[in-house]
Amino acid sequence: MAAIFNLNHPASYIHWLFIDVSVSNVLVVVVMFAVFAAAILLPFPHGHSNSAKEDQ
Amino acid sequence: MSATTEPPRPAPRAWTTRLRERWLEELPPEKLLPDGQPSYVSSWIYVLGVLSLSSLVVIIATGTILALKGPNWWHDTGLGHFFNSMHLWAVELFFFFMVVHLWGSFWTAAWRGGRRRVWMTGAVTFLIAIPCALTGYVSQQNFDSQWISTQAKDAMNSVGIGAFFNLMNFGQMYSYHVFLLPLAVVGIVGVHLLLVRKHGVVPPFERDLLAAVAAGSADADGTAAASPAVHTDGEQSA
Repeated sequence: MAAIFNLNHPASYIHWLFIDVSVSNVLVVVVMFAVFAAAILLPFPHGHSNSAKEDQ
Repeated sequence: MSATTEPPRPAPRAWTTRLRERWLEELPPEKLLPDGQPSYVSSWIYVLGVLSLSSLVVIIATGTILALKGPNWWHDTGLGHFFNSMHLWAVELFFFFMVVHLWGSFWTAAWRGGRRRVWMTGAVTFLIAIPCALTGYVSQQNFDSQWISTQAKDAMNSVGIGAFFNLMNFGQMYSYHVFLLPLAVVGIVGVHLLLVRKHGVVPPFERDLLAAVAAGSADADGTAAASPAVHTDGEQSA
């Protein structure tokens, strides 16, 4: 079965000054920032409340 | 000779009694297993800690199975590959969620209100998890692990701690990976969780400040002491 991503080649790297990082690792960091922002901004679904003071 | 009437001495209490009383005082059952959480916990940012913990559970479960079956199984069988992959991806997710959880804790100054130990145990867990993962990469028993172990050995030597660890010694690395470091991670995570239960989830800045102003205890720089009131109002079911 063919892989979803063809990994049969050397990884692509980004070189910037002393920083040497693979493209895949940069993508993971970008996704982490996206998840962090989404976790702060997205509304949280409200479940069953057992307190009348919930919204105070 | 007259008999003296000394007041009866209190019976010496066993260390188990003292420990139990101290435990119940510090962490009563209603704090350990609460019925609800404050309303401000209704945010996705507070879910990241639970996701980290869930990943850790999968890591321990799959790692236990891999340890029972051995390298031939995880390299040469389909089911072994599956569990090996589960173990790897659970580790990837563990670090992913843990780092985002760390960011959330940092930017909300989660050490406020006497929660220094909560923050410190979380940070130490992150630091110990790094060598835990590294020893896993060098314990794979394949070309990848050979390459990583030689590179890591040079890295250890370059920072002057190569005398204490031999990254090319499979037995040593495997012992670290399946026993010593996981024991440390699970132990510190356990303490972290108990401390979170004891102190409660850190409230948002505004809420903390309002409570402090109401109590007249806000510092000049706006930092506030812990206010038990903010932990109890606005509760909702967990």
